[in-house]
Amino acid sequence: MHEALLIARREYVERIRSRAFRISTVLIPLAFAFIFGIGALSGKLAGGPKHIVVASNDAVLAESERAELMGVGKGARLSVDVRAPITEPELATLNADVESKRLDAYLWLEVRPRQLEATYTSRGSADFLGKDRMQDSIGHALVREELMKRGATSEEIKDLLTDVELKTLKVSNGKAVTADASKGFLGAYLMTFMLYFAVVFYGVNVAHSVVSEKTSRVFEVLLASVRPESLMLGKLLGVGAVGLTQIAVWILFILLLSSSALWTTLGLGGLAAYGITPLRLIFFVLYFLLGFFFYSSLSTGLGATVSQESEVQQFSMLIVLPQVIGLMLTVYILSNPAAWPVVLLSLFPPCTPIVMCLRMAAMPVPAWQLALSLVLMVLSIYGMALVASRIYRVGILMYGKRPTLPEMLRWLRYS
Amino acid sequence: MPPVVELDHVSKAYEQKAAVRDLNLRIEPGTMFGLLGPNGAGKTSSIRMMVGITIPDSGAVSLFGRPFARESLKKVGYLPEERGLYRKMKVMDQLVFMGQLHGLTAEVAGKRSRAWCERLKILDAAQNKTEELSKGMQQKIQFIVTLLHEPELIIMDEPFAGLDPVNATLLQETLVDLKKSGRAILFSTHRMDQAEKLCDEICLMHRGEAVLGGRMREVKSRYKRNRVVIDFEGEDGFLSHEAIAGYRQYPGHVEITLKEHADAQALLRAAEGQARIYRFELVEPSLEEIFIQTVGEKVDA
Repeated sequence: MHEALLIARREYVERIRSRAFRISTVLIPLAFAFIFGIGALSGKLAGGPKHIVVASNDAVLAESERAELMGVGKGARLSVDVRAPITEPELATLNADVESKRLDAYLWLEVRPRQLEATYTSRGSADFLGKDRMQDSIGHALVREELMKRGATSEEIKDLLTDVELKTLKVSNGKAVTADASKGFLGAYLMTFMLYFAVVFYGVNVAHSVVSEKTSRVFEVLLASVRPESLMLGKLLGVGAVGLTQIAVWILFILLLSSSALWTTLGLGGLAAYGITPLRLIFFVLYFLLGFFFYSSLSTGLGATVSQESEVQQFSMLIVLPQVIGLMLTVYILSNPAAWPVVLLSLFPPCTPIVMCLRMAAMPVPAWQLALSLVLMVLSIYGMALVASRIYRVGILMYGKRPTLPEMLRWLRYS
Repeated sequence: MPPVVELDHVSKAYEQKAAVRDLNLRIEPGTMFGLLGPNGAGKTSSIRMMVGITIPDSGAVSLFGRPFARESLKKVGYLPEERGLYRKMKVMDQLVFMGQLHGLTAEVAGKRSRAWCERLKILDAAQNKTEELSKGMQQKIQFIVTLLHEPELIIMDEPFAGLDPVNATLLQETLVDLKKSGRAILFSTHRMDQAEKLCDEICLMHRGEAVLGGRMREVKSRYKRNRVVIDFEGEDGFLSHEAIAGYRQYPGHVEITLKEHADAQALLRAAEGQARIYRFELVEPSLEEIFIQTVGEKVDA
């Protein structure tokens, strides 16, 4: 055990000191923030002030649409001009204006008897408002015009046209609590992806480090004083501790950020609103550790069978695939967290961390299922380590040709 | 005193191929022992069994008079054939880590590492990363790793391979000093001239078997002095002398193999009559010749 701890400490210290650790600690959350942020911000960042023209043969409708657009496009720094009524030649110049970038887009509303034809012309097909909202705004403008013709006051019109806001509630511990569905899943997505990345990253990392010790022949020296089992245990503990440190840094960062003034100013709400609760954080760490030990045992065993780093890729699929299955089913799992295939999948050790993490975001998972998943994972880690250590012990001294499966099975029986 | 290493009828096979067959071997304290043989003779396989990396299929390995136990490895220093160091680690960190694995405290390991680095003239490089060092320097570090815990038994697989003459001599002298202080040293080599210079005892391996072994003097005395080396100037007519079985001639220098029971003194007289003799030496066969002769016999048999 003393030897294993020495090995673990070396592994830990060398890795924590490395530039790769510092970079990945900063870069991975940044990458996630970037990916999630880009979707949220793309609307707001779609360029500078937008200048569009509403053209119509009906001046009242055009004015009404302008008001609508100004209301809808609040965040988009919009300036809207009205050209109505408009002549054919004037309409033709608008195309030229759009092309020469004097104008970003124009909306042409042609009122015919009992029919309205709307055309939106811009330079790109992409749009800053979205087709749905544009259509809504035109619908509203029509209704507004109609109501005004029938003598409604502007107050009445405003009340009538108020959008209905759908409130979503979810039952948690027997109480209905407000839940912003999209926000609540955001935290779940984030945690699940982080979990996936951390487990895959460190799992594959262990394989690389086994292979590099093999190619640099450090094993020969180490084996003359240390048992192969201690070597393997030390490596797993060391690398696992590095992963845990990294996750701790991330969690700490999120906690600090969420209690910072900036967060409050932006009005982003408490962490719980994002589905990040202490219980889930605890299970996040637990599932990282279990997932890591499961996959890294596998990867030490497999890493010992190859002689070159490039060969690691051939089996990294085995580490990635079971977890990707969980990720691909994300939407299904989030909407059917209690369906029996999902429950079974969440209890199947290779998929447990990812699937359970998603289920926990979507529902309060029964305690017995959580407990069972932990027990099953611990048992399967034990089994995996047993098999892997036997392959490892023989494999680290074998060079050259990659062993076949029957050969590896024979290794299991070596004393 | 019990022997430091004893192999008793040890055999090891990998898959179908026998790597070591029925090997017997004893090394006493204060002995420099050479394990000789061409590549693939079974030297490394034998050594790996002595340090517990592999386990013999049959036969027994004893260290310090007791059956092999991992506990004994605390007193063994092993330098593998392929050098194994952590490339990214700083030299001093690496030395201390390896020392700790051998049961030293960080403090003792650090102190001894510095002393050794000084002795082998690499103290300047101690704070560098290992991968930044030259091959020869890395070899010295590996050497220190082997010796840091002051082992009673030092096992080195091809320790001088790839070293320049200056460093090879430095390491050879270090080994001789260690031997004088009572350590048992076993090293393998396929360089017979090195073994000849350094070893007290040898074991010659060929195809997994020991074909020749014992104290160097005894081994050599089993072979007659039937070779003559002459440095001369003048006529070389004496090379047709009846005592000569064969020769290789170089400018001013000739190496002669004598016939069975031939009289070397008669050859000297004949040579003296025809040429100016600077050197006339009746030499015993070199280890290399003994090896070729022995293995040749085996191959024929």
